[in-house]
Amino acid sequence: MNRRAFLSTAIKVFFTTAGIITGTIALLFSYPFKIKKRAVKYFPVMDEAEIPRRGVKTVTFKYKRQNRVLNTRAFVVNHNDIVYVLSPVCTHLGCLVNWHRRKHEFLCPCHGGRYDIEGKVLGGPPPAPLTRLPYRVSEGKLYIGLKV
Amino acid sequence: MGRIFDWIDSRFGVKAPHSRFLQRPLSERINYLYCLGGVAFVLFLCLVVSGALLTIYYVPSQDEAFQSIVRITREVRLGWFIRGVHKWSANLLIIFIILHTLRVILYKAYQPPRELNWVVGVCTLVVAFASGFTGYLLPWDQKAYWATEVGTSMAGTIPYIGKYLLYLLRGGTEVDGSTLIRFYSFHILWLPVTMALLLWAHFHMVKRQGISGGL
Repeated sequence: MNRRAFLSTAIKVFFTTAGIITGTIALLFSYPFKIKKRAVKYFPVMDEAEIPRRGVKTVTFKYKRQNRVLNTRAFVVNHNDIVYVLSPVCTHLGCLVNWHRRKHEFLCPCHGGRYDIEGKVLGGPPPAPLTRLPYRVSEGKLYIGLKV
Repeated sequence: MGRIFDWIDSRFGVKAPHSRFLQRPLSERINYLYCLGGVAFVLFLCLVVSGALLTIYYVPSQDEAFQSIVRITREVRLGWFIRGVHKWSANLLIIFIILHTLRVILYKAYQPPRELNWVVGVCTLVVAFASGFTGYLLPWDQKAYWATEVGTSMAGTIPYIGKYLLYLLRGGTEVDGSTLIRFYSFHILWLPVTMALLLWAHFHMVKRQGISGGL
């Protein structure tokens, strides 16, 4: 290997190394540093007496996340005397679905996802049924669990 | 790697017109002082890269700017390092531009036909100073605030137009949130773009006219 070829290789090795190091530092720097496991917290949404005897009730409630108060909603359902809470987040791409009383279905306004009263997919693009949220009743109030 | 570059270059054609410039023999009279401009350019590249990374976390708002700087230094992975690179490259850039200028003066490299390149070079120095001045405000701490208060007040002492120049620089009568956003815009957009155009002109003329005393 002559002098010219050696220098040419050395320059290539130097710049490739510098590029890889810079790229790694840039990736490490820009990757979010605050990704925590989110714990389930319970928030009061309504009185126990307000839980529907039959059908779907949409509740809007406030919850706290990182010192910010946010609004969200959920569906409290009583179907064949079984009470459960459905998340309104469509499993397709995360829009919020609405309960359509006349059609007796949950409809997603974004891409036409359809779910039945139990949250099972009836049509459209959703890959999975609506998520059931954990809930508990204590001291006459209904609490819904959210990951915050 | 080389093969990928060759594939691109066979269509893009950037290698051939530059190889004559990059592979020409240099004069024996050239010494390491001729590297000062190149060092300044490498520092400029460091500033562009580290600065682009800092914009990911910096918030140019009077309520959050200082907090975001603290977050970058303390919480963001390698944030202290990127900020350090930006700060030290900025200081060294000014030093190396001045050293490069001194070299050009000592070697009389500003003489014809290179007068225009001297003018462009002085413009890059002014843009570098302006970048340093605007960047100094962005941490939005006491030092930054008072440095800008004093610096912009200097513009206010110019007869007749001073007052209007002062308001233009500050975006109002006082140094406040609108000054911060104004300086941020200049610092990350207008000045770097101007600098890139000036440097292109600078290198273009070096390529066309050759190095003084060398070729």
